[in-house]
Amino acid sequence: MVHGAARPQRQKSLRARFGNLLSFRWAAIALILIGWFVYYPIVDNFVVSTTDQDIYTGEVTNVGLANYDRLLHDPIVLVALWNNCLYAIISVVFQVFGAFLLAALIEDLRSERWRRFWRAVYFVPSAISITVTGLLFYFIYQPQIGLLDAALSRLGLGQLVQPWLGNEHTAIYAIIAMSQWQGFGYSTLLFAIAIQKIPRDLYDAATMDGAGAFRRLWSITFPLTREMTGLMIIVTITGAFQVFNEVMVMTAGGPNNSSQVLGTWLYQKAFIEDNFGYGAAIAAVIFVLTMLTGAAQLWYTKRRRVQL
Amino acid sequence: MKRSLQVVAVTVAAVSSLGLSMGGSSAASPAVTADPNAKVEYSGTLSILTKFGLQQLSPYFVNLAQDYEKLHPGVKVELIQESDDSVKGKTKTLVASNSLPDVYFSWTGSWGANFVRGNRAVDLSKVIGPDTDWGKTLSPAAVKAFEYNGKLYGIPLYQDAKFMGYNKQIFAKLGLKAPATFEELLTSCDAIRKSGATPISLGNKEAWPAIHFAGQLLAYNVPQAALERDFDPATAEYTDPGYVAALKQFSQLVVRCTDGAGVNGTSYASALQAFTNAQSAMYYQEIIEFDQAATPDSAVKPADFGFFKLPVPDGAKGDPKSIEGAPEGYMINAASKNIPLAIDFMKFVTSKENAQVLSAPPYGQPSATIGGASESNMSVAVVDGLKEINAASFLMPWLDTANPPRVAAVWLSGLQALAGGSMTPEQVMDEVRKTASAAK
Repeated sequence: MVHGAARPQRQKSLRARFGNLLSFRWAAIALILIGWFVYYPIVDNFVVSTTDQDIYTGEVTNVGLANYDRLLHDPIVLVALWNNCLYAIISVVFQVFGAFLLAALIEDLRSERWRRFWRAVYFVPSAISITVTGLLFYFIYQPQIGLLDAALSRLGLGQLVQPWLGNEHTAIYAIIAMSQWQGFGYSTLLFAIAIQKIPRDLYDAATMDGAGAFRRLWSITFPLTREMTGLMIIVTITGAFQVFNEVMVMTAGGPNNSSQVLGTWLYQKAFIEDNFGYGAAIAAVIFVLTMLTGAAQLWYTKRRRVQL
Repeated sequence: MKRSLQVVAVTVAAVSSLGLSMGGSSAASPAVTADPNAKVEYSGTLSILTKFGLQQLSPYFVNLAQDYEKLHPGVKVELIQESDDSVKGKTKTLVASNSLPDVYFSWTGSWGANFVRGNRAVDLSKVIGPDTDWGKTLSPAAVKAFEYNGKLYGIPLYQDAKFMGYNKQIFAKLGLKAPATFEELLTSCDAIRKSGATPISLGNKEAWPAIHFAGQLLAYNVPQAALERDFDPATAEYTDPGYVAALKQFSQLVVRCTDGAGVNGTSYASALQAFTNAQSAMYYQEIIEFDQAATPDSAVKPADFGFFKLPVPDGAKGDPKSIEGAPEGYMINAASKNIPLAIDFMKFVTSKENAQVLSAPPYGQPSATIGGASESNMSVAVVDGLKEINAASFLMPWLDTANPPRVAAVWLSGLQALAGGSMTPEQVMDEVRKTASAAK
């Protein structure tokens, strides 16, 4: 009797499990595509990073972790890593906190027309391709005909005039500055959307309680956009470690490798110096760094989430 | 914690073993030799990677492809046109993915040697050798520039070398003549700078323009035997004192003749523009750029354009009759499914008629085909430049294609640092020596 009762239950459970497995067929194509185009290259990159490849002869030699050991002793990797960190720090300050403040200011305007106007004004640079922006700023920084040096001279700041992209000490800052100009408006727009979602009642109540603009910003806007802030920090930091186009267009990592970032150094090693194994090792480092940053930030924002 | 370490260790071992499983594998095809008696099948698609991607040059291959398709309706020619800068990365990507086209651009020196080493280029000795019908139509020296291990692998398209182009009007206004020595060049620069013009416009953002100055100065200061020994990765030493002497001369030139550290913030194209707009008096350029530097529409007219070989420094111990440059050409992919057709297309490209079009404005690329560089349809400057190339005792290859890529990268970044003032000539040579030694 006992056995008889258990059998239908087991059959039901098997059917349910089989049914669950069958439901996977609907996702199979997507899973195969994601596996093939996203996860397989990641695994393959780690495999390539343990080899030394001669692209001309096609010979592949296993070198174990030698590429990672070489990476630890490569002085340009440190320069590139520092430049990526600078990129991340400056971008977080401007494109996250700066954009948040600007969005709060815009959304605080009474006139909807002016709010739309300022959102559009700040968003326009983001609509331009990064390669085009890079070329545009190359001309702005150009020592002979550039707008920046000409403006500094006219303003009586001739002592600051210099080849911004040709000077080892200023090249990376010049590129980062361009990147802020380009990305600032996009972040502002996203923060503006997040702020619009906050019920006006909260502001009205706070105003009636005597809260000033700064208090409303700190006690209402900031906590209620924390999720967006967290997301923007992740996007900005991971973006800073994946930066490539603007550096290639403006300096190609020069002068004397001073503006190299991990992405351009990877390209230099793999495609210029024919060292694909070492390039893959650099790519693995970028992957790990961005993964860790993303995971840490997600964990932090999940803990501090505020719900309405 | 211990368990995590074990997991990491196992993962690393697994990844390494995956790499090991590929150890010693080879994707390259076996050596292929062109058969002079092979029948040409005029059907299918022929892919070609050119270095004629610039707006002024691109019509040349487009027109050739159209003409060839008209002659052979069963053939479709697909062009991949890249610029001087982009062809490097493009070629390596195509090699790494085993997707080289049927015909592809190549420099001489170690650049071409890589294709030969990997059996990626067809041995053309039997179809382009000096005794063959095709070989007799081409400049023997240009064909020989693509010789590796006693075999011929390249089809030279045009000759190239570096000269200092100058604006005759600016020189005449200041009472200057084309300098005869390097020291005279520096003195001329001082006079031009006093007049308010930039003596030499140099754009070194891409890093290779400085290499061209240094290359010619190295040819003047370092004996040819030492240079050739150092370009071979197995014997490279870079100990000749002429290297440091040449780099010191380059530093002087940067300080007295150019915008100094500003050169690293200026692109090659902007520097050329400054010269064509008559904002600078001189511009160091390849002969293949003469017809682009001075055109009827630019501020510097063809009649105002003059050129001279970079003058020899006093006491230089190398070869004063050397000139930096090399022919440039094309190779046939050993993995091509239609090698006879690819060879036939290149015979068409290097025919006398097409060669004359290539040598004349607006292309101005002095053809390597005998009779293709005809004085009647070429600009005067290109004709005279070609005579200088033919009179040279030694063609100094471009430093960045003569050296292995890792050593070339140090030359490129080191010369940027030298131009920017952050490294001394001795420090640059220390870095080159260290890298050359590591690359052995």
